[in-house]
Amino acid sequence: MSVIVKRARAAAALASDRTAEEYAPARYEARTITKSFGGANALTGASVTIEPGEIHTLVGENGAGKSTMLKVMAGIHPQDSGDLVLNGTHLRGLTPRTAIGHGIYLVPQEPSLMLTLSALENLFVGIIPRGSMAFSVDWKAMESSAGAYFQQVGLHIDPWAPASQLSIAEQQLLECARALAHRCNVIFFDEPTSPLTAREADVLFELMRRLRERNFTIAFISHRLEEVLAISDRITVLRDSRVVAHFDNPKQTSHRQLVEAMVGHEIAVRQRRQRDLSGAEAVLELKDLGAPDGAFADISFMARRGEVLGLAGLVGSGRTETAESVFGMRRASGTVLLAGKPYAHRSPSSSIESGLIYLPEDRGHNGVFANVEVVRNITAAFVPHLPKRGQLLHPRAEVEVAEKAARRTRVVAPSLDVPMKALSGGNQQRAMFARWLLAEPKVAIFDEPTRGVDVGAKVDIYGIIDTISDSGVAVVMISSELEELVLLCDRVLAIYEGRIVGEVTGDEITLERLGAMVVGGGASERD
Amino acid sequence: MLVVVTLAIFGLTSAAQPHFALQGNISFLLASAMPLAVVAVGETVVMLVRGIDLSVAPVLGIAAVSTGFIAQDSHVSVLSMLPLALAIGIGLGFVNGLFVTYARIPPIIATLGTFTVYGGIEQLICNSRTVVTLPTSWINLGTHDFLPDVPYILVPGVLVTIAMALILWRTRWGRSIYAFGANAEAAFRAGIRVKAIEISAYTVCGMLAGLAGLIYVVQVGSAGYNTGSEISIQLQAIACGLIGGTTLTGGKGGVVGSFFAAIFLTVALEGVIVAGIAYQWQSAGVGVLLLVAILIDAYQNRQGRSVSEALRSVLGGHKPVQQEASS
Repeated sequence: MSVIVKRARAAAALASDRTAEEYAPARYEARTITKSFGGANALTGASVTIEPGEIHTLVGENGAGKSTMLKVMAGIHPQDSGDLVLNGTHLRGLTPRTAIGHGIYLVPQEPSLMLTLSALENLFVGIIPRGSMAFSVDWKAMESSAGAYFQQVGLHIDPWAPASQLSIAEQQLLECARALAHRCNVIFFDEPTSPLTAREADVLFELMRRLRERNFTIAFISHRLEEVLAISDRITVLRDSRVVAHFDNPKQTSHRQLVEAMVGHEIAVRQRRQRDLSGAEAVLELKDLGAPDGAFADISFMARRGEVLGLAGLVGSGRTETAESVFGMRRASGTVLLAGKPYAHRSPSSSIESGLIYLPEDRGHNGVFANVEVVRNITAAFVPHLPKRGQLLHPRAEVEVAEKAARRTRVVAPSLDVPMKALSGGNQQRAMFARWLLAEPKVAIFDEPTRGVDVGAKVDIYGIIDTISDSGVAVVMISSELEELVLLCDRVLAIYEGRIVGEVTGDEITLERLGAMVVGGGASERD
Repeated sequence: MLVVVTLAIFGLTSAAQPHFALQGNISFLLASAMPLAVVAVGETVVMLVRGIDLSVAPVLGIAAVSTGFIAQDSHVSVLSMLPLALAIGIGLGFVNGLFVTYARIPPIIATLGTFTVYGGIEQLICNSRTVVTLPTSWINLGTHDFLPDVPYILVPGVLVTIAMALILWRTRWGRSIYAFGANAEAAFRAGIRVKAIEISAYTVCGMLAGLAGLIYVVQVGSAGYNTGSEISIQLQAIACGLIGGTTLTGGKGGVVGSFFAAIFLTVALEGVIVAGIAYQWQSAGVGVLLLVAILIDAYQNRQGRSVSEALRSVLGGHKPVQQEASS
């Protein structure tokens, strides 16, 4: 308590020019941590030591225990057993509040700001300096010291703007600034880059490197192995709640070594398929699709039977908005043709009826019914066609339908009667695929189908996409991971600022080419 | 579990006051629980879509006084008044649905507004009269048993509950109700016509409140300007939903629990009186039960499992659902 009060006073007193204040280097150890949730082990005797001046990355599949480890170390979850030792001192009964008192801060996966409050209040929440009267707030002190923190993390924002107006990337930087304002020098980043574009992620990495130079103690979680190998000083691999490998020299480590440590066995390297589909009929055609709010304009393309068509673009480039307009979730001008026929009054329900499905990108918000059984999650879009007895649905037949679909997409669950939230991200996504395949689509739009899923699920999802495209479904695949577009697609369109800026086919689809196209450059001319 | 607690209260009260278990009293208890039970079944549907309907009390009241006055004046049969009661409920419930769905007013505010308006309409209809002299056929239906201890009034309550339970679990509409309550955005994307579903939930709730009004006037034999509101039946109905295992956060629960909760609540409150505690304690009793139900609801949201599951796992024998940690 007194530590916190002191830190609060220190923060309040901090003048704007005292930015490069020195911190005592912090060596933070987690020793043989065990933690279980409702009987399932999230961590089993796992140990990690994070040294000052290093970026220490935790990798592993979903459910391996990475997040849990950092949350235990930041006092969010109390451990069942094991010790947390900071510079030789045992930390007991750690809570987020006392953790901050010790200088430990976790930047969560999703920024947890108070969206209706200003950036300034968010920055100082918990240590808001007092004014001249005991109950008043010293707004001036807050405003004058805030600039320094914003500057340190590279944020250029109006301190009085509500946090809801900030982009996700800015919200994350604000979280980092909050860590600094709270005088923390042990900072954890729990999968910060998954909602960010490549450029935004670079800004964050730059900040992490600057903090490393200042001898901060930094832990990081990511599923993007390229960036892990690029930024880490050390890597710890977790699998099934245990620490299974350390890589002390990431520069000498290959992507493949890392993946094999994560999944625990050797993996096959996928080859891209060579198919000639130029003769196949067009099942989906867009003509001059435009959004009233200008999110996209003049979008024209077609997808052929059996084709995997990639839509490459940065987050916010209009990919998702285009897909949602086709599916009938938002209005757009222009024409959509399904199997050659105009499809005018679009709505999700009529799209599904006509064999057009859309797997949304934000699974948690837009896809799953978290508290509902897996069975009903799988059959949700198929209820009109479920077997009936008289006017009533047939529960056992429904379970059979769901089980069959779940087997097709290899959902791993203790039972299909458990609530959806009991499954890992990868298995939730497999169940979502099961749902949409039940609708027997002719055109399937997958929006970031592998976001937040582990390596094993990714391979399965690629397999599903191969299978359904072989069976004649036109797949439109939206992805920020250019590697998977290269691996999966027969043709890729690049969208930049709401317009199609390029198209590549077959062997022209390379990482370099796509990378240039999504930022609006190096586009090949379209006919 | 609810049934066990109800029987326990009943048993204890009977032990203290033997006349509590007399034949006529069991029948009376069941009958007097039915208006509440039917309202609670409707309220549950609205709670399943993450809503709340405070206006069921005056809807019940309007249906009760409208049908009651006609019966009093022109001696029509109970069955012939059924369409009127349902129509009143459907109309008023639909209006609630419009406010919530199309005007996008939060349900608690919209139905607080209509609660007041409908209450005013109820008073206008009464115009300082009350329903007191119903035809004999009505009185008989309200007080007679068709089997020992099984009053006629129980029949519509049970039928409505069974029908709603089947409809909710085993029809497309019912599925859509649960899906909408669990995640409206995901339901929309799964092809569910969400506006129609939400509005229909309020309409069904109103319809059942209307039906409950008819049941009420038959069972009680009188009705007046503040029928329904007088006993805050809307709060009792919400309490029944919660006690019966339906959550306020939508998508979880069912009507069978609400039906038994209504009987439980009635037995518990009557038990209070029979046990010699002043009737003024009744509303405090509802409040306490409501708070207990809300605590249980909150516990379940936190733990991700129901209280009965938790109890079973503590007592052994039942393995709780394992929750995977997210990483």
